[in-house]
Amino acid sequence: MTTAATPTSPATAASRPRARTAVQPVTYSRLVAAEWVKIRSLRSTWWALALALAFFPLLAAMRSSSIAAIAADAPPNFFVGPAYVTSGVTLALLVVCGLGVVAVTAEYRTGQIRSTLAAAPTRLPALRAKLTVVTGLAFAVGLVGVLTGWAAAAPWFGTIGMSVDLTDPQHVRLMLGVPLYLAAMTALAFALGAIVRSSAAGIASVLGLVFVVEPAFAYIPFEPLQELAAYLPTAAGARLVTSDSLGSVVTGSGVTTLGPWGGFGVLLAWVAVLLVVASVLLRRRDV
Amino acid sequence: MIEADGLTKRYGSATVVDGMTFTVQPGKVTGFLGPNGAGKSTTMRMVVGLDRPSAGRVTVNGKPYAQHRAPLGEVGVLLDAKGVHGGRPARDHLLALALTHGIDRRRVDEVIELAGLTSVARRRAGHFSLGMGQRLGIAAALLGDPQTLILDEPVNGLDPEGVLWVRTLLRGLAAEGRTVFLSSHLMSEMALTADHLIVVGRGRIVADAPVAEVVARAGTSAVRVRTPDAPRLAALLSRDPAVDVRSTSADLLDVTGSTTPAIAALAAGAGIVLHELAPVQASLEDAYLQLTGGEVEYRSTPADASPPARHTAGAPR
Repeated sequence: MTTAATPTSPATAASRPRARTAVQPVTYSRLVAAEWVKIRSLRSTWWALALALAFFPLLAAMRSSSIAAIAADAPPNFFVGPAYVTSGVTLALLVVCGLGVVAVTAEYRTGQIRSTLAAAPTRLPALRAKLTVVTGLAFAVGLVGVLTGWAAAAPWFGTIGMSVDLTDPQHVRLMLGVPLYLAAMTALAFALGAIVRSSAAGIASVLGLVFVVEPAFAYIPFEPLQELAAYLPTAAGARLVTSDSLGSVVTGSGVTTLGPWGGFGVLLAWVAVLLVVASVLLRRRDV
Repeated sequence: MIEADGLTKRYGSATVVDGMTFTVQPGKVTGFLGPNGAGKSTTMRMVVGLDRPSAGRVTVNGKPYAQHRAPLGEVGVLLDAKGVHGGRPARDHLLALALTHGIDRRRVDEVIELAGLTSVARRRAGHFSLGMGQRLGIAAALLGDPQTLILDEPVNGLDPEGVLWVRTLLRGLAAEGRTVFLSSHLMSEMALTADHLIVVGRGRIVADAPVAEVVARAGTSAVRVRTPDAPRLAALLSRDPAVDVRSTSADLLDVTGSTTPAIAALAAGAGIVLHELAPVQASLEDAYLQLTGGEVEYRSTPADASPPARHTAGAPR
């Protein structure tokens, strides 16, 4: 050992240059702190978050102003306020899913994963810590997003005759559903990234799922397939951010019997399955 | 202390590490020497649990690496200079590693200073030169003040000042009683830095001994003789069957199995003028090439490696 003398008081020990560095056991909360430093120290994180956030006020204002022109012809209380306030969710979804994929695949591309797993050789806590930080960011984007969307749409509320009423359960569900849906979809993208370990393949599989595989199922005019399509992750999860009266904010299958929370539950089940696969692979594979 | 027992790694039908059993002792710098593709990096990755052995086991300070609750306090590891996200400032990379083990921020600044990175600590690691990347990797390895250091090619890409820094640092750490295990294919660097050598070729250990012993095992030392009368002296020397004479150029002989006084006496007796008579120590490089001769994975064209002509007793010139 390098300690020249037993430290008599903590102060003298700390000021001594060759004092033994204090090292604590690796814990989940320490790993979360480390992952937070890792993600905040990358410029790309802030660009992605700013872009995702910008979609909310932009689309809320665009859609509110466009329906303001025809609002006079509609019956009273026809428009569900939160459906317009949360219009940015689809585009924000793409960005946070991209962030979720790259947060894990960039570790493999750069070789950082070796440093990460050398510091956390049991591996799974490191995966959970990173998942916590990334989904936490997606949730925060959703929450701040619906608030800024609300503010941006508010100037047209009077003209249209719509509102956001936080005593209405549907309104609360739509507003809170956005951060929950974004966080769950980011976790899905994160798990896919951890499975394929390549940014290109990860982003392609997420976009392919959301824009190709799911719509393809939904548009094949064969009822069992269309029913199946409703249980695919995006379509099921999007039920949570879809108003009862109007069609969907995020396009999906039309023939679903899933309720909003049932649909979200299906999405969470997909996330859980993919995370289990990602965890098993992380434990088994060499890096 | 690192203890490997029958450590084996196979990729499909290729066996990259083939039953390696060795112990890396504390208080010494142990060099891990071998040609490219000999399995050095794979072995080091298995030691820190990044690659799973196909067979055998390896422990660090008495336990498998993954069973240490605070591994960075036991083992510091530099696997390659690219173990960092290029978009992240160097200090944040070290800070994130430190936070995993609750290591004080002052220690982060300490290793930055120790590695000579203070002026560039806020720069993105992707803009670093190879040498600066190595310094960052070494800083990361030292973060937890570990008892054991595992460094894969630490001097690769360093300037002469950096090489000297690493050498002094590693010798100092070993002198404090720590275990230092470093790989290299630079023999000259190993000769200066290491106390003990584990030489590998094609995934197998071909030597595990102190540096001096490895060099000594390379065979008897030779004597170099320069004389205008080389053919006559060669013929005289070759009368003794124990003596082996090689001619490397018209006036130069490499003699093994004899001594400088004996050659001088023989030359004087025959009236042969000598321009030079010097003992030649076998170098670590000779030892290494001899040890790994049959074990090289990627060989250059045989024509380049053909040995010089050899004159044996009685052979016609």
